Amino acid sequence: MGTDMAAVEQQQAVAGHGPSPTPGAEGYLRIVEVRKEFDGFLAVDDTNLSIRKGEIFALLGGSGCGKSTLLRCLGGFEHPTAGKIFLDGQELNGLPPYERPINMMFQSYALFPHMSVEQNIAFGLKQDRMSKPDIARRVEEMLALVQLGRLARRKPHQLSGGQQQRVALARSLAKDPKLLLLDEPMGALDKKLRTQMQLELVSIIEKTGVTCVMVTHDQEEAMTMATRIALMDAGRIRQVGTPDEIYEQPANRFAASFIGSVNMITAVIDQDEPEFVTLRSPQLDTAIYIGHGISGFEGQEVSFAVRPEKLGIGKDEPAQPHNKARGVIEDIAYFGSHSVYHVKLASGFTIMANFANVQRWASESMTWGDTVWVWWGDNDGVVLTQ
Amino acid sequence: MSAPTVFGLLRRITPGPRWGVIGIPYLWMLVFFAIPFLIVLKISFARLAIAMPPYTPILEVDNAEVALKLNLSNFLQLGALQNGYIAAYLSSLKIAAIATLLTLLVGYPMAYVIARLPPSGRNIAMMLVVLPSWTSFLIRVYAWIGILKSSGPVGRLLEKTGVIDALQSLGWIEGRQILYTPLATYIGIVYCYLPFMVLPLYTNLVKHDGRLLEAAYDLGARPWKAFLKITLPLSRAGIIAGCMLVMIPAVGEFVIPELLGGPDTLMIGRVLWNEFFANRDWPLASAVAIAMLVLLLIPILVFNRVQQRQIEGRLT
Amino acid sequence: MSVGRARWPTWIILGSGFAFLYLPVLLLMVWSFNSSRLATVWAGFSFKWYGELLRDASMLEAAWVSLRIAFWTATASVVLGTMAALVMTRMRRFPGKTLFGGLITAPLVMPDVIIGLSMLLMFVSLGDLFHFQPKGMVSIWIAHTTFALAFVAVVVSSRMAELDKSLEEAAMDLGANRIKVFFLITLPIISPALVSGWLLAFTLSLDDVVIASFVSGPSSTTLPMKVFSSVRLGLSPKINALATLMIVIVSVCAVIGWWLMYRSEQRRRLDMQLALQDNG
Repeated sequence: MGTDMAAVEQQQAVAGHGPSPTPGAEGYLRIVEVRKEFDGFLAVDDTNLSIRKGEIFALLGGSGCGKSTLLRCLGGFEHPTAGKIFLDGQELNGLPPYERPINMMFQSYALFPHMSVEQNIAFGLKQDRMSKPDIARRVEEMLALVQLGRLARRKPHQLSGGQQQRVALARSLAKDPKLLLLDEPMGALDKKLRTQMQLELVSIIEKTGVTCVMVTHDQEEAMTMATRIALMDAGRIRQVGTPDEIYEQPANRFAASFIGSVNMITAVIDQDEPEFVTLRSPQLDTAIYIGHGISGFEGQEVSFAVRPEKLGIGKDEPAQPHNKARGVIEDIAYFGSHSVYHVKLASGFTIMANFANVQRWASESMTWGDTVWVWWGDNDGVVLTQ
Repeated sequence: MSAPTVFGLLRRITPGPRWGVIGIPYLWMLVFFAIPFLIVLKISFARLAIAMPPYTPILEVDNAEVALKLNLSNFLQLGALQNGYIAAYLSSLKIAAIATLLTLLVGYPMAYVIARLPPSGRNIAMMLVVLPSWTSFLIRVYAWIGILKSSGPVGRLLEKTGVIDALQSLGWIEGRQILYTPLATYIGIVYCYLPFMVLPLYTNLVKHDGRLLEAAYDLGARPWKAFLKITLPLSRAGIIAGCMLVMIPAVGEFVIPELLGGPDTLMIGRVLWNEFFANRDWPLASAVAIAMLVLLLIPILVFNRVQQRQIEGRLT
Repeated sequence: MSVGRARWPTWIILGSGFAFLYLPVLLLMVWSFNSSRLATVWAGFSFKWYGELLRDASMLEAAWVSLRIAFWTATASVVLGTMAALVMTRMRRFPGKTLFGGLITAPLVMPDVIIGLSMLLMFVSLGDLFHFQPKGMVSIWIAHTTFALAFVAVVVSSRMAELDKSLEEAAMDLGANRIKVFFLITLPIISPALVSGWLLAFTLSLDDVVIASFVSGPSSTTLPMKVFSSVRLGLSPKINALATLMIVIVSVCAVIGWWLMYRSEQRRRLDMQLALQDNG
């Protein structure tokens, strides 16, 4: 199995994060034809999204893809050039940030340096004119939620990075918002703290049941924390789906290569039948056989994407007549739990295959310069037309 | 006492806080800074009168006729070479330029070494540089009177050590004392304006990445070459800011040349003062001011643009 | 850009630079204790010039006038200068913003004589047209505020530009409108800059001789004006005493201020270290 999914599954098991919680009402948050231009530069291009109540939705993409702009439109810090946003039926357009039932956790946390932890958390409640005893009670609740009770009187500069993050989270949940926005939540933490905080954060969010939209450039973060992900590139959404949908069923070349690693083979549809399809590729000697029908036509140019962990690798030729290739090991990247073999095929194309080091020293049998065979099953890859 | 009611009240009485915040300072500066210049312009076209105020109106209304009488004699007076005004302007420019250069030569090394100190040392050093400017500038100029006087202890020391002889042979002073010469004015300007030169230079130099110099050394450049090719060009913005902050006000300086420079030190600020206070010739003084403004207009505009972009630019 | 510890050229440059800056005032302070009138002769240590200074009623009166004007100038220019800084750093473009920026930055380099002359002519014209002419202390206060607010605006806007915008956005996100954000969040955080600006304006006002000479009336003579008129005639030992007093007061305040800041910085650093060790 590939490392990415194994790790994710492992973490999910630890967190008690079972299958996605029962999806709530569809269209709790609706982004309709939203477009944002800055001085001629198109940051967000006619985007449509429907987010369910209670889910953790991630906007994933590289820098400049528009995810932060879209998030800021939700928060009210940017005004869309066109389009509407609806939250729980209410149209948000034109509402300033202080009138929206939305709260945001900023990347830099933005904790007020001249106020204590308590006062930071109470700030939003004070703006709502809550009574003093109610505010005190709610602040205590929040501190208990993030487990920071004993630090209530401290000022932000007296807290560590992880503690500051929890205060920021408590502050943004204090008003029980309809929508919680997270801007690169793990961005300011170091690597070790990140993995632990990812799970804690999810656990806290699920405990409160708040609907959450987060923005991140870190695919591991999105895959771990989110129930659904929207992949963004240059202002457009390229695919929306659950983490495993995006990983196993990428809808286009961008999605396939953005998440994890992938072997992208250019091919042409040879035989197009309802139960199977064969592809011919200049990069492979034998044909590619897909065990199901696809929507396409003969002669169509496509990409065939198969992930390295799906490939078998060995010295002996496999029996199957197709979905195999022979080459020379050019490079080996050793990761301890597995190795990635870069195999150069006769066509010059280098294919990557993972080999789990299940048995000690098993990988020693294959080394640089060895001629090996790689192979995969009929349904292990995906045909991409875009 | 509670916050909500104060804000509620504010919201009710202000038409829109944004326009109040823009409007009040805008109005103040228009009325007390911009319009006064227009008035100076107007009076520069007036004629001297024995009256209070001592100038004639330029708009004369007679029955149904409105006549605009612009008197150009003030400007003609300024322009006439023999009157010496042009000489004063040129002299002011020259003195300000030389003084600015001297201030740069003294201030740059200081800013440079301070920027290279460890952070704690930097802060103390900058505080020490700025501290004198918190004490009265007038008094600091006055201090130099005693120093540059030939009869004072320092003056006598300079005489004894032959410094006075050297200065005289170089042609920098004519008598036996430095006081009441243009040289004294230079010293005074450098002394008073030094913090204004060091501060922008320091602010610029302290942001330089030390690794750039390390990369230069690694590639074989000698320290002096690295300074000329890397540090100096990168500090250009600081140099320009510092020079503007010194030169522009120095052109119109009054106190320093009045106290330290002698009758030979011709500066336009003194001319303006004398026309106004000694001769009570307000229209001529206004004309001097207008000419000074025209002279300084372009540097002031350049400075404005750089300043504004600095203020706003830090946001982008 | 700190590159290693200071070496000998550094000490030479810094030493001569600071000597240049400080020796004149130190000499002044020494002379103030010289019982002889002439600077040429040291006739023994004496406090007599201080005595004469404190007995000089007109000098004390002028000092009091200057202090009051400086106080009100500082206060007014902090208010106006902060408003101007807000406009420059936090507001989107509006027609006339460039002109506003120019008006705010021009006083920084404008020669005093021009400011003085123009303000006086302005006041005189006001008197002509509206029969209302600001006189005396009020006119000096207006003139000082006008150019001091430009300096305050620079100090405050540089602080505001450094301020993390997400702090203000977070406050809005939590329900505070723009006015509340300014008073509850922005103002407390930039308050040190406001204090700096106040002190700067105070000093500028206290120090000005040219502008005050132009706009003041006979009733209001400021301390710098008195000092200037007596100094034009040559050395005056009373002025030495005055100078020493001013320098001492300013230095003491500066050292106290610096020490307070140093201590709070130390405390802050300690807090952050403790927080890191804590690591909840």
